Amino acid sequence: MTAGQGIAAAKKDGLYVYCVVCDRGEHLLGPVGLDDHGVYAVRAGDICAIVHKCPAEPYQSNDRQTVENWVLAHQRVIEMAAERFETVLPMAFNMIVQDGPNGNAGESLRAWLGEERDRFTALLDKLAGKAEYGVQVFWDRQRVAEALLQNDPRLRRMRDEALTKPKGLAYMLQQKLAKAARAAVETRANLYVEDFYTRIRECLDEVRVEGLKKAAGGEQMLLNLSCLMEKGNSALGKVLEEIRETEGISVRFTGPWPPYSFVCAG
Amino acid sequence: MEPELPVRHSRATLVDLLDRVLDKGIVLRADLVISVAGIPLVGARLSVALAGMETMLKYGIMSDWDQAIRTAATQGQELHAVKPSPLKQRPDEALAAPMVA
Repeated sequence: MTAGQGIAAAKKDGLYVYCVVCDRGEHLLGPVGLDDHGVYAVRAGDICAIVHKCPAEPYQSNDRQTVENWVLAHQRVIEMAAERFETVLPMAFNMIVQDGPNGNAGESLRAWLGEERDRFTALLDKLAGKAEYGVQVFWDRQRVAEALLQNDPRLRRMRDEALTKPKGLAYMLQQKLAKAARAAVETRANLYVEDFYTRIRECLDEVRVEGLKKAAGGEQMLLNLSCLMEKGNSALGKVLEEIRETEGISVRFTGPWPPYSFVCAG
Repeated sequence: MEPELPVRHSRATLVDLLDRVLDKGIVLRADLVISVAGIPLVGARLSVALAGMETMLKYGIMSDWDQAIRTAATQGQELHAVKPSPLKQRPDEALAAPMVA
């Protein structure tokens, strides 16, 4: 039962595209698509798009589980394609080709594959044997601040001095100390980011800096990277293991992903 | 020391998947396509519910510092002398942060 994609009996004149691969054959992947639709390949020369037929309207829903299932199905089909065809160029979610003035969806799609053949071939070559990994570095800012207050001689002096003074003056000195501590924490953050980024980047073929996001608890995200490297290369894992030894630092390491982040234009 | 292995395929990586599938990947030409990745997939509240699941990561707003890193990266520069800028620890932001298109 399809939710949010029109009535089941609606015309299926659109093609939902999962990914692009290099192949010369005919392929059926079976009923593994969104809402169990049958997935197959549409070919132009040696480039194929992996698709399913659907009504020409986007997949939309207010039901969380439905959306989750669609997203997981999208990813699953791409992974199946990666197993069968080695290298894939993943599409964003909800890329649906419609009938056009020049022909039906299949014809439009083939024409587009033909136009983009050089770009796709270059991308497939670049990505062969590689995978995307996600790296996020967090720190416990409070913990680092406390450690700095303990260990930085200048801050310690300021703190000790404030303790010996009468209330009004002590307060002013504590404000100064707080400001100096904040600056020290920022400096430390920048040092970490520069150091970690440099060491991580050395392991990679390509890296993309992603936006920082709010994190749980007292942790703050310092670095969010999409990393492209050869599948199974262990250099990055080793560097992250070392980075994790740093006090107050934690690391999230995910993957391998299909190379979503490395097929975008710009 | 064993090199660490990345996490794949768990509830914990659903947010990472959403980041990729909704924001990245190849985008079809506008005249061909019914929908583009920028169309909100679901209502704003549900998108936050999806994004903020068990892993508790919410879509945040980029800081100046974040922008400086991005600039340095896209220009292929080494990351040195990044101008320190306050990294505000934001108190709980309103849950209804809109989905970034």
